[in-house]
Amino acid sequence: MESAWLLALLPLAAFLLLVLGGRRLPGGGWYLAVGAIGAAFLLWWPVMGDLLARGPGAFSFSWLALPPLQATGFAFPGFELRFGLVVDPLAALMLGIVTLVALLVQIYSLGYMRGDRRFGWYFAAHSLFAAAMLALVLADNYLLLYFAWELVGLCSYLLIGFWYERRSAAEAAKKAFITTRVGDVGLLIGILLLWRATGTFEISAIGHAAESGTLDPGLLTLGALLVFAGAIGKSAQFPLHVWLPDAMEGPTPVSALIHAATMVAAGVYLVARSFTLFVHAPGALAVVTAVGLFTALLAGTLALVNNDIKRVLAYSTVSQLGFMMLALGSLGLTAAMFHLYTHAFAKALLFLAAGSVIHGLGTQDIWRMGGLLRRMPLTGVTFTIGALALAGFPLLSGFFSKDEILKVVAEHQNPAVLALTALGALVSALYMGRVTWVVFFGRPRDHELHPHESPFVMTVPLLILATLTVVAGYVALDPVGQSLGLHGGFGEFLYHEHPEPFSLNGGLVVLSLALAAAGLGGTWLAYVQGGISPSSVAARFGVLYRWAAAKYYVDELYQAIIDRVVLVLAGGVAWFDRHVVNDAGVDGTGRATVWAGFVLKFQQTGKFYNYAIAMIVGIVVLSVLAGALKGP
Amino acid sequence: MIELQHFLALGAVLFATGLYGVLARRNAILVLMSVELMLNAVNVNLIAFATFVGSDRFLGQVFAVFVICIAAAEAGLGLAIVLRANRNRGTINLDEFDLLKW
Repeated sequence: MESAWLLALLPLAAFLLLVLGGRRLPGGGWYLAVGAIGAAFLLWWPVMGDLLARGPGAFSFSWLALPPLQATGFAFPGFELRFGLVVDPLAALMLGIVTLVALLVQIYSLGYMRGDRRFGWYFAAHSLFAAAMLALVLADNYLLLYFAWELVGLCSYLLIGFWYERRSAAEAAKKAFITTRVGDVGLLIGILLLWRATGTFEISAIGHAAESGTLDPGLLTLGALLVFAGAIGKSAQFPLHVWLPDAMEGPTPVSALIHAATMVAAGVYLVARSFTLFVHAPGALAVVTAVGLFTALLAGTLALVNNDIKRVLAYSTVSQLGFMMLALGSLGLTAAMFHLYTHAFAKALLFLAAGSVIHGLGTQDIWRMGGLLRRMPLTGVTFTIGALALAGFPLLSGFFSKDEILKVVAEHQNPAVLALTALGALVSALYMGRVTWVVFFGRPRDHELHPHESPFVMTVPLLILATLTVVAGYVALDPVGQSLGLHGGFGEFLYHEHPEPFSLNGGLVVLSLALAAAGLGGTWLAYVQGGISPSSVAARFGVLYRWAAAKYYVDELYQAIIDRVVLVLAGGVAWFDRHVVNDAGVDGTGRATVWAGFVLKFQQTGKFYNYAIAMIVGIVVLSVLAGALKGP
Repeated sequence: MIELQHFLALGAVLFATGLYGVLARRNAILVLMSVELMLNAVNVNLIAFATFVGSDRFLGQVFAVFVICIAAAEAGLGLAIVLRANRNRGTINLDEFDLLKW
């Protein structure tokens, strides 16, 4: 079990080596990064085997210990901070996803980033990103988790702003960092609140406190909501979803990594890890549901009207994360993590395939693409598989996980929520269909572009991910799970309190199939076959379409708030700092000293008798004073 | 009969004379001599108190010897300074020595 640390330490060591000596290594030392993450992936198998053979394990060591102190009027009870790792099904699943996706993305990057000036630094940052995420997953306490959480945020900043010479990339990196920081502050306050109430940072101990009811319900709800605030920031949920589409300024493999494994999954993982808290705080759970559902619908409509292939995928991630949150809010830990798992492969595949398209064409505008399936067959086929999986095409992985989500929503929420979830599923089929048909089917639109298929180092990861996207969903079935060494299907491996064996609900299957068919078929008619005119549909939705095309003015609203409120407040504080603290305080002290010195220097006449008189008068005055104070 | 207060009066007169000399004289040598006067006024007081008040009459005398010793050292040092000052500036008028001012 202890060897699980190595999973996080190997990429960290690669990062340190690359940062210290990367310039001197041939090729920037990329093989160190790829080797480290590859070794971590290989090490994952024994960890997983250990978990299945011996059950969940934990291991911790004392990181900081202050002995009890006893002094007069002062008693310090002592304080110990333990850092540890926990390997349970939840962590093991995430470890597998993170190491595998990171490995494939790094291999792909060898082709995509070839010839970049900061090739070595790219792999160094990649390694740190993977190490931070692995540490986050392994952490058994909120403090270590928070360290890793911030490290993940830092790495996303570094990689989104990788091409920082481009102003938009630098701005996007800044936006991602600051927006997620808004949520991080909530997370930190939540952690400290829970620590004050329970005296521990350990997630399981806080969970026990929530279970046994020793925590005040109001405080528990507040703590859970603040923890969820962190998840909102990292997982780009409404209202902090604005950074993720802009994060597309980074290199495309980075987007794949951020969207599939490392960054945005952290928010869902955090809620899943703290699930006991949420289960015992129904208010917080309702908020998770509402935010997830609203985000899923909002981002889905945004994906539907965007014209940048990467931004469509970004909004699709936001909406899929919304579905995961919705599932968590509906007590469906299994469904949420299952969707995270299938979505990770599908979305990594989609981004890498989109990167391959961009690599071949040099544009991201879907209206300059078209008919690419013939020119880039491997990319086209794999992208289509990923898109169909996310749209819920039968027997691909997304079909299983989406069905699970619909099932838990139907079980735990009222019909209105189910209807909205179904609408969200329809929207996701629509936008996935739209982008796939427009980019890869129909006729080429721009004859000045000469697309070519990408090199093997890029297409091989695509093929691996496409295979996983096709087969990953079957883990839900008992026989498949058992043949992999699990006790049963996915639901009997990862669950909250009770195993949830996989089952299909006939009505919901028909519903989800109908939604997928409607979405994919409708967009096929609109964009390939030409039976429906997209512009007339857009005209019918008039206001809604214009609002969605303008991203619902959320960015503008934030800009206005920043301009009118934040900058005005900051201006006031800056004025105070400049005029009161600096001019009056610091400079004022200096000026007063100079003035006093100027006035007082005239006391120094240099004449002997002045000093003699001063001395004598001083002695007399002091004597009189001493006599007067001593009394008769 | 000569009592303690007679000695104290003598000491006070000597001290005041010395103080006046220190403050009023411009000649550095005269100032030094006035300082000696003040020190000897103190000596008178010490021996008078030792004789009339204290149980151990030698204590005051020992102090007086110390003061005389220090006065000798001070006079030696002071006269040396005055000598150097005279060599440098050609005067020992204290009004002329006011370089240490703003």
